[in-house]
Amino acid sequence: MGFLQVRQLRKRFERVTAVDGVDLDIEEGEFFTLLGPSGCGKTTTLRVVAGLEKPDSGEIYLGERCLLSHSQRVFVQPERREMGMVFQSYALWPHMTVFDNVAYPLRLRRVKAPVVRQKVMEALALVGLAGLEGRPAPALSGGQQQRVALARALVFSPRVLLLDEPLSNLDARLREEMRRELKALQRRIRVTVLFVTHDQIEGLSLSDRIGIMNGGKLEQVGCPEEVYYRPATPFARDFLGKTFALGGKVSRPANEGLEVRLDGMACSPLQVAATSLPSARGGAPAAGDEVMVAIRPEQIAIWNSTPAGIPNVVPATLEGVHFLGDRYEYTVSLGSVTRLLIAPASQVLKAGQRVFLELKSEGITLWPRSG
Amino acid sequence: MNEAPAAAAETPARSWTPRLHRGLFLMILLIGSMGFYILYPLVLILINSFNVATIAEPPVYGLQAWRDAFSDPGIWVSLWNTIKIAIVRNLLVFPLGVLIAWILARTNIPFANGFEFLFWLSFMLPSIAVTFGWMLLLDPNTGLVNTWLKQIPFLNRITFDIYSFWGIIWVHCISGLDTKVILLTPAFRRMDAAMEEASRMSGGSTLKTMFRVTLPVMTPALVVVFLLGVVRLFESFEIELLLGIPWGFYVYSTKILDLARQEPPLVNQAAALGSIVLLLLAIIIPLQQRLIHGRQYTTVTSQFRPKLVDLGMWKFPLMLSILLIVFLAVGVPILSVLGGSFMVRFGFFNLPKTWTLEYWQMALSDPRLLEALENTLIVAGSAALIGPILFSLIAYILVRTRLPGRSILDAICWIPSAIPGVLAGLGLLWMFLGTPIFRPFYGTLFLLMIAFIMGGVTLSTQILKASFIQLGRELEEASRMSGAGFLRTYFKIVLPLMAQTMVLIGVLKFLFAARGASPIILLATSETRTLALLALDQIAAGYRETASITVLLVVLLTTGLALIARSFGLKVGIRAE
Repeated sequence: MGFLQVRQLRKRFERVTAVDGVDLDIEEGEFFTLLGPSGCGKTTTLRVVAGLEKPDSGEIYLGERCLLSHSQRVFVQPERREMGMVFQSYALWPHMTVFDNVAYPLRLRRVKAPVVRQKVMEALALVGLAGLEGRPAPALSGGQQQRVALARALVFSPRVLLLDEPLSNLDARLREEMRRELKALQRRIRVTVLFVTHDQIEGLSLSDRIGIMNGGKLEQVGCPEEVYYRPATPFARDFLGKTFALGGKVSRPANEGLEVRLDGMACSPLQVAATSLPSARGGAPAAGDEVMVAIRPEQIAIWNSTPAGIPNVVPATLEGVHFLGDRYEYTVSLGSVTRLLIAPASQVLKAGQRVFLELKSEGITLWPRSG
Repeated sequence: MNEAPAAAAETPARSWTPRLHRGLFLMILLIGSMGFYILYPLVLILINSFNVATIAEPPVYGLQAWRDAFSDPGIWVSLWNTIKIAIVRNLLVFPLGVLIAWILARTNIPFANGFEFLFWLSFMLPSIAVTFGWMLLLDPNTGLVNTWLKQIPFLNRITFDIYSFWGIIWVHCISGLDTKVILLTPAFRRMDAAMEEASRMSGGSTLKTMFRVTLPVMTPALVVVFLLGVVRLFESFEIELLLGIPWGFYVYSTKILDLARQEPPLVNQAAALGSIVLLLLAIIIPLQQRLIHGRQYTTVTSQFRPKLVDLGMWKFPLMLSILLIVFLAVGVPILSVLGGSFMVRFGFFNLPKTWTLEYWQMALSDPRLLEALENTLIVAGSAALIGPILFSLIAYILVRTRLPGRSILDAICWIPSAIPGVLAGLGLLWMFLGTPIFRPFYGTLFLLMIAFIMGGVTLSTQILKASFIQLGRELEEASRMSGAGFLRTYFKIVLPLMAQTMVLIGVLKFLFAARGASPIILLATSETRTLALLALDQIAAGYRETASITVLLVVLLTTGLALIARSFGLKVGIRAE
C-alpha cells in the first residue's frame, strides 16, 4: 500500500482519451516521475491528482484519506488537498512581491504574521533566494522565478509536492544546475514528489522510480536503471535512449542456457541471460524463434583485436568516425547492416579499421521480430 | 588609381542626399497637412473663445464670450450633467461588464462564443438605432410598453419615461456594456490559468482566488478599459440629443450644438465651452496615459488549455440573464424599429389594418432620403478609399523609416482619439468659415469627408503600425535584394501582404462615417445631410415611421456591412491596446 495511491484513473477530453486506466503507488518520501512524450497523459494525471481536473472515473487516496472516488462520489477541492504544485509557467502572481507570493498559502491558513515571516524566510533560504523577498515577482530571472514557485509550493509543508515540467522553461545550463539542486533539496526535506517531464535525463537522474507513460497508459514502472536497461516494452526501449539492435534466431532455448545466432554473421551464438526477456511478454522463447537482440550502445565494448576468453564478440568494420567532443560516434557495418555506436573520447579508432564488438550479456534484451 | 576611390565616395553621396531630401519633403508634407487638419481647428477653438465677433467676420478680441459663458448657468449645468452621466453609467456598466467578460472567458457557460458574437453585434449597432428603438417603447404617451402597462390592472399607474435622467442612463447601460465585454473577454481568456490554479493549490477557494489573484492580475487590463470609458465620457452625443433636449437636459456636446444653432449663433460661447473641455482633456489624457503605462503584467499562457470554471447550478440562470441583456441591447431595438417602419401605427396591433408597406413606398420615393443615402455613400465611400492609403503611408513611415520628425507625426496622429466629435466639428467649422479661401468648401461634402477621415486617424494608424511591425522587415529586404526598388517593393510585396488590413481599415472608416453624427452635425447643411443626420432630424420632428426607415438604412449600411465583412473573415472590431 503506497502513501499516494491512484486507482484506475480515466479521463477523456471530447474525443481523446488522455488517461486510460492509470494505477500508481507512491511511497512516502519517494521521488516518483511520470515520463513520456507530449500528449501521453502525464500532465493530465498530475492535474487530476492535484484536483484541477475531474476524471471520468478512478480513485485517489493520500494516506488514509480519500481525495477522489467516483463510486463514493468524493471529490476534494484542490485547495483542501494539502499538495504543493510548481507550474510549468511558474504562475507567480505579478501583483505581489516575492515575499507575498510565498506567504500567500500561509496567510490563507490564517498563520500569525511573525510565524509567516519566519517560515517564508526559511523557505526562501531553502531555495537560495534569501534577501530577494522585497522584489516584485516579474523582476526576477527565470531561474529565480522557478525557485520562488518552489518555495511557495513548499512553504506550508504539503504532504505531496507536484512538479509539472518545472525545468523546461530554463536554458540548458540552468536546467542542469536546478536539476541537481532539486534532487539535493528533496533529499534534505524528504517530501513526497510526483514529477512530470518529457526529458529522459531529468527523469533518470532525479527519480527513485519512474513510470513510463504512452497513450494514456503506464507502460512500465521501475527504478531508473531498471527501466533503462531492462525496458518492458518497445516504446520504453526507444523512448529512453538509443538502441543497438540486430536480428537473430534462438538456437538454444532458455532452459538449456539461452543462445541466439545472429543473422548473416560468422560468429559464435550470443549467450543471453534468461532474465533478458521483457517482463510484459510471457513465455520463454523456443528454439528457432525469430528475435531481435537489443542493447544500449554504451553497453558495447570495442576491441581492436579478438579478445581472448570473452563471450559475445561480434566482428565489424568501422565505416565512419564522428567526433562529438566528449565522445565519439562510430558507424559500423556488420555484414549487410549498418549501426551506430558510442565510445568514450579516450579510445581512438580509425575509419576502415576492423573492430570486435563485445555485447555484454547483462545488457542484452530479446524482442519479437516485429518490435 | 586616384580617381577610383573618389568616384566611389561620390556615388553614395549622390544617391544618399536626394533620397533623404525626398523623405524629408514627404515628412514635412505629412506633418503639415495632418497638423493643419487636426491641430489648427483645435487652436481655432481656443483663439476664438476670445473673439467677440461672430464667425466669418473680422475678429475682435475680448473676454465677452468667456464672461457670458461663466455667467450662463446652463454651461456649468451641461458640464456637470456630462460628468454625472459618465459616473453613474460607469458605476453600473463597468462591474457588470467585468463579470460578463469573466463568465464568457473563464467559465463553462453554454454558447460563450455565440454571446461574444452578439455583444459584437451590439457594438456594431449605431446608438441612434438603440436610442430610437427604446424611444418607441418607452415614450411616456405613445411608448408600446407604457400602452401595455395601462391595460394591466394595478400596474396601470406606472409609466416609464425615457425622456428623463434615468431614461438616458438606461440606454447608456444597454448600449455601453458591449464595449467592456468585447475588450475584456479576450483579456480574461489570455490570462494564464496556472495563476488561478496556483492559488487553488495554495489553499484558496474559487471566490478567494477571484478576489486575491484573478482581479489583481487583471487590474492593468481593467484600468485600461475603465479609463477608456472615462475619456469616452466626452464622446457621448446622440443619446442625450434625442432623449435630453426634449425636456431641456443638456450635456456639454448638445449644449455646444445648441449655442451654435441659436439665432444669432453664439459660436464664441460654444468655443469657450469647447475650450473648457479641451483643458479638461489636457489634464485627463496625460493622467490616463501615465496610469496605463505604469503597470503592465506580462501574462504568459501555459501550453495547457485553460481549465474552465464549473458554474454548476448557476450555469443556466446566468445564461438566461446574459441572453436577456443581449436581447435588450440588440433584439428589442431592432424589432421595434422594424415594427415602426411596417406598422400602420406603431404599437397598435388591434387596428383593422395593422401592417403596411406604405411608409416604405413613401420613403423610397422621397428625394430627401435618396439624397441623404447618396451623401452617405459618397462620404463614407471616399473615407473608406482615402483612409487606408493615407494611413498606410503614415504607418509605414513611422515603423520603417528613420526620418526625423516621426515622433511629431505620431503625436499628431494620436490626438484625434482624445477629441470628441462635436469639438472636432466645431474646430473645422471655424476653419472653413473663418478662412476666406476655404469658405467655398462650406456646404460641400468635402467638409464631411475631412471630418471623418481625420476622426479615425488614431485607430487606423495603430492597427496598420501593428501589422507593419508583424510583417517583418526581412520580406521587404528580400525583395530589395532581388533587385526591386522601393516603390516596386511597396506595391508588389508590402501592399499585397497588407491587403487584408487595408480592407479592414476601409470597412472601419465606412462604418464610422455611415453612423457618425457628432463630428459633422455642425458642418452639414440640408443638402449635405447624411442618413444619420436625416434620421436625427426626422426623430426630432416626430416622423416616427419615416425615421424608422432611415434608421434601418443606417443599420443596414453599418451593422449589415460589418456582418458581411466578418463572414469574409475580417476581424472588424476594437482592441484595448
